[in-house]
Amino acid sequence: MAEAIDTFPRLLLHHAKARGGRPAIREKSLGIWQTTTWSEVLTEVRAIACGLAAEGFRRGMNLAIIGDNRPRLYWSTTAVQALGGVPVTLYQDAAAAEWVFVFQNTEIEFAIAENQEQVDKLLEICPQCPMLKHIYYDDGRGLRHYQQPELASFEKLQAAGRDYDRANPNFFQGEIDRGTATDVAAMFYTSGTTGNPKGVVHTHQSLLVAARMGAEWEKLGDQEEVLAYLPMAWIGQNIFSYAQAYVCGFCVSCPESAETVTVNMREIGPTYYFAPPRVFEALLTQITIRMEDAGWLKRTLYRYFMALAVRVGGRILDGESVAVADRVLYMLGNVFAYGPLRNALGMSRIKLAYTAGEAIGPDLFSFYRSIGVNLKQLYGSTETAVFVCVQPDHQVKADTVGPPVPGVELKLTAGGEVLIKSPGLFREYYKNPSATAEAKNAEGWFMTGDAGFIDKDGHLKIIDRAKDVGKLTDGTLFAPKYLENKLKFFPYIKEAVAFGDQRAAVCATVNIDMEAVGNWAEKRNLSYAGYVDLASRDEVYELIGDCIAKVNADIAAESEIAGSQIKRFLILHKQLEADDGELTRTGKVRRGHVGEKYAALIDALYGGKAMVHVEAQVRYEDGRTGSISADLKIRDAKTFPPAAAKKAA
Amino acid sequence: MSAMENDRAGRIGGQILAVEGVSLAFGGVKALSDVSFDVREHEVRAIIGPNGAGKSSMLNVINGVYHPQKGTIRYQGREYHHMDPHEVAVSGIARTFQSLALFKGMSVLDNIMTGRNLRMRSNILLQALRIGPALREENEHREVVERIIDFLEIQAYRKTPVGRLPYGLQKRVDLARALAMEPKILLLDEPMAGMNIEEKQDMCRFILDVNDEFGTTIVLIEHDMSVVMDISDRVVVLDYGRKIGDGTPDEVRGNQAVIDAYLGVSH
Amino acid sequence: MNKNTPFIAVCVALLVGLVLPLATGASAPGFYVEVLLGGLMAGVLYSLVALGFALIFKASGVFNFAQGAMVLFAALAVARLAERMPLWAAILVGIVIMTLLAWFIERLVLRPLVNQDPIALFMATLGVTFFLDGFGQTVWGSDIYKIELGMTKEPVLVLQNLFQGGILVNGEDFVAAIVAAALVGGLALFFQYTPTGRALRAVADDHQAAQSIGIPLNRMWVIVWAVAGVVALVAGVIWGSKLGVQFSLSQVALKALPVVILGGFTSVTGAIVGGLIIGVGEKMAEVFLGPVLVKAFDLAGGGIENWFAYVLALVFLLVRPQGLFGEKHIDRV
Repeated sequence: MAEAIDTFPRLLLHHAKARGGRPAIREKSLGIWQTTTWSEVLTEVRAIACGLAAEGFRRGMNLAIIGDNRPRLYWSTTAVQALGGVPVTLYQDAAAAEWVFVFQNTEIEFAIAENQEQVDKLLEICPQCPMLKHIYYDDGRGLRHYQQPELASFEKLQAAGRDYDRANPNFFQGEIDRGTATDVAAMFYTSGTTGNPKGVVHTHQSLLVAARMGAEWEKLGDQEEVLAYLPMAWIGQNIFSYAQAYVCGFCVSCPESAETVTVNMREIGPTYYFAPPRVFEALLTQITIRMEDAGWLKRTLYRYFMALAVRVGGRILDGESVAVADRVLYMLGNVFAYGPLRNALGMSRIKLAYTAGEAIGPDLFSFYRSIGVNLKQLYGSTETAVFVCVQPDHQVKADTVGPPVPGVELKLTAGGEVLIKSPGLFREYYKNPSATAEAKNAEGWFMTGDAGFIDKDGHLKIIDRAKDVGKLTDGTLFAPKYLENKLKFFPYIKEAVAFGDQRAAVCATVNIDMEAVGNWAEKRNLSYAGYVDLASRDEVYELIGDCIAKVNADIAAESEIAGSQIKRFLILHKQLEADDGELTRTGKVRRGHVGEKYAALIDALYGGKAMVHVEAQVRYEDGRTGSISADLKIRDAKTFPPAAAKKAA
Repeated sequence: MSAMENDRAGRIGGQILAVEGVSLAFGGVKALSDVSFDVREHEVRAIIGPNGAGKSSMLNVINGVYHPQKGTIRYQGREYHHMDPHEVAVSGIARTFQSLALFKGMSVLDNIMTGRNLRMRSNILLQALRIGPALREENEHREVVERIIDFLEIQAYRKTPVGRLPYGLQKRVDLARALAMEPKILLLDEPMAGMNIEEKQDMCRFILDVNDEFGTTIVLIEHDMSVVMDISDRVVVLDYGRKIGDGTPDEVRGNQAVIDAYLGVSH
Repeated sequence: MNKNTPFIAVCVALLVGLVLPLATGASAPGFYVEVLLGGLMAGVLYSLVALGFALIFKASGVFNFAQGAMVLFAALAVARLAERMPLWAAILVGIVIMTLLAWFIERLVLRPLVNQDPIALFMATLGVTFFLDGFGQTVWGSDIYKIELGMTKEPVLVLQNLFQGGILVNGEDFVAAIVAAALVGGLALFFQYTPTGRALRAVADDHQAAQSIGIPLNRMWVIVWAVAGVVALVAGVIWGSKLGVQFSLSQVALKALPVVILGGFTSVTGAIVGGLIIGVGEKMAEVFLGPVLVKAFDLAGGGIENWFAYVLALVFLLVRPQGLFGEKHIDRV
């Protein structure tokens, strides 16, 4: 690893010399993977940088890069950095209007766009962003008849660059020499839920040191293969597919299109992979569906070996001892099930896979680990250049994010908020000193806004956003989202809302998953007339009660929050709906609104009643409204004293 | 973008295909009576009309499936009384089908490659041995096909059997196969039928892109007027087998006979 | 295709191949394996005939009754030509003759009858059958001829240490099986990876669509009949070298009928698997079922080989009309 090399362009020069003939980036073109070596990348980058200079791009200017993962967009990133400019990558699937603020905020004059779609959007916002004067496009399809003076093709830009380079042969190297590690290397705009997006400013140093920290921790080398398929504007993509590729010198492959990612995964066989939980979930669903359609023999084999994998697979991966017979069977399973499965997922060669961003279901998590994919959790944010906590090999758990990476300092406030000090920390929010001051205190601690605690193994466990974490009257931390997520990992529970802030105990309302519970009821010959009826069945209450008891047992084991076990619960008579204002449009529970709307129910929960009558307006799908009245049962849930938890679980 | 439109108008060339006084009857039922219109090079020409207006019959006459009792077809300066489907395909007219006629059991790639069949020159023995010119030829054809796959954005489905694709994608494969023939004229039989709005928009974009990028002349029939008006240069309107309107979309829209025909069948 | 098809195939194979002999108390495993191998060898030849049959049915929807006659015709041609030239040359000329034959059949029978009822086409192939049977004798003569593949007919003892007494394997059979396998593999590659193969698959998938994109149906028919002719020739040569080339060859080839019923009319895989099942099944039945019938009902017990295949096919027609690998709906032409 190139220790002393402190900027991206210098790393490129280094790799072009040290491993010039090795692949740096791949792209599938007309059905064939085309590889570009490190030394070829240098030639390309040089032409782009010189071209931009010839067109008037100067040190300190910002440049927008918009598109899917394409080699030229990555090269442009380095070219801009070589000139001392700042690449600003934007989400390619955003509507044009969402970019206006960023363009105005950063006074961008130059943009590099992937294709017609992005060019059209840029032209759309041109009137509002009069500074924007140069747009270069990678793929000229459909753009032949565009006459706008701002537009030029990438080929033209590079041709101009080569001319400029011939006239000023020392220019490129000179510009790279002028760069320093503390120069701004990139800006990432985070979509604020309220107000304008904030530009997170990272220097060469913060990105490269963080990338190097992660790479050393995981012993990544220049043999890794990575598929770059997440948006370039996301910092994770920059770290995994750009910063770490430059630090280690490994090869990055760009999929043909968003739809081909699965196929391309299989062709490339990445060794290092990141995906948010929803991607892992979608892949598993695909597998499950395919297995249901498979023949009898395949299905039987799959079931048998998956049961075995769940039992011993994770332990084998964690290096624990496993009975010889099981080990032999697992090897057999590797031939008949796990190997083909990993192959179908494109994960045959994976050494290291990360997931992050949201809580991952324990079943989902252990599925991948059980078939031999070394899936781990990590914790970080745009402001920290990703790497804050990573689970070490052999210490992987579904519900923690691991200990801090060496080099990162971490502490918790009294309210449970996680504070970070790290060399990967951002410099500031662009042109927004007040926001910077809010997020970073005088001693340089970054306030993540996440609440969590350190478990007995020294792993950080994130429980919720700090602002959502409350306290019971006895002072116990109450993290509603954490409880709700644990409940929602049961297939029978579709939604759950936990209450308890400033109260003596925790109570919850639950919505059953109609499909899962319906199936469950069918298997037991339980007949029911619709959701309301099913939800009120004693059997269903027992089923849900068992789920809650399991969650309580888990929580009892965690001393910080052992007191926030769910004491009482009821099953709601209707699903929570966005149309009724109970969910946001993206499907998240609006806790406050639910609390107000069902105040009577919550009072009943805390009032110790066994039954509560509800009458509610409901809006049907066709727009009519009607009312439901029902008597809802309220049940006590089984709770555990903190010490007895282990045995009960 | 007026610059673009001017440019388009400039690209449209002389007459490439003309239908003159064509009449077609099945038994006593008249499907087409004395229909004449022409198609110019590089234009998008639509044939519209209510259901049963004779649109498909018209396409089948051009395609050589039906032989008209009266009238002639002039194609690239030569006059035909009727054409033969194979001959039509060889002479550079490709078509897609309303009811898809894809090879359901074969992969997307194979389906599109069959579109190159007419252009395969090497003989069966060389193919069988996969040597020399045959291999080179196969690679050249594959490259053309890959460009089309890229163009129509179906890279994700190369190896998928067509029968397993959703309808909208099958339509795209059908278009791809027709394009693989590198036709001078592309006949599209209700390319948007049975699609949702988004798929329709995609298809419109692809049709315009094809016309633009490859310079292919496009004749399409469609009964959904709104779609056609946006993408056509000129429109022929048929009703009960007769031509009742012909002109630019704006002209046709203002034509009283056309309005009546569409209102008459309560569209 | 039903997802349980392979499973059913395995069960059927096990039933005729394993349960039957075990139930009848076959004691010597070596003998058992010998019978099994003998059955497989015969099955390979059935497969070849059935393969030609399935190819034609798939590509042109014609139920080609003449496939057996083509086997005889090809074998006769090669046998007689080999008297005048080296065998390899005779085979090459034979291939040319079969291709010409395919061309004539397409020209004189298929093309005039295109779009006629399937029964008309079937009748036409019946005509072709009798014509070929007769015409073959007219041209090549009606004696029993020999084809010498130049291999030892002496059985070889193998696997002596595994089974008591070893197993007798006919070397010629062994080579025949390899040749047949190579032919099937070659055809599979041809269909999968050449433009013509692709066009043939397209024609088989949808006639009209194929025509509309300019695939010349007539030429494809000639090709597929020619391929079927070559397959018939290989079957004929192998068979002829084993039994001698004579009229009964065309009768033996009729076994292809139960094979395709078992395997499914439109499936090449079905033809191959079906052939093997029938081959093994009837040998097993003859050897192991015969004695049981003799003992239990005091029957003569012979000739099971002659009817077993048809009974099995009949059972299939009742239980699974589309065959093991066939498509459910057969509505071609």
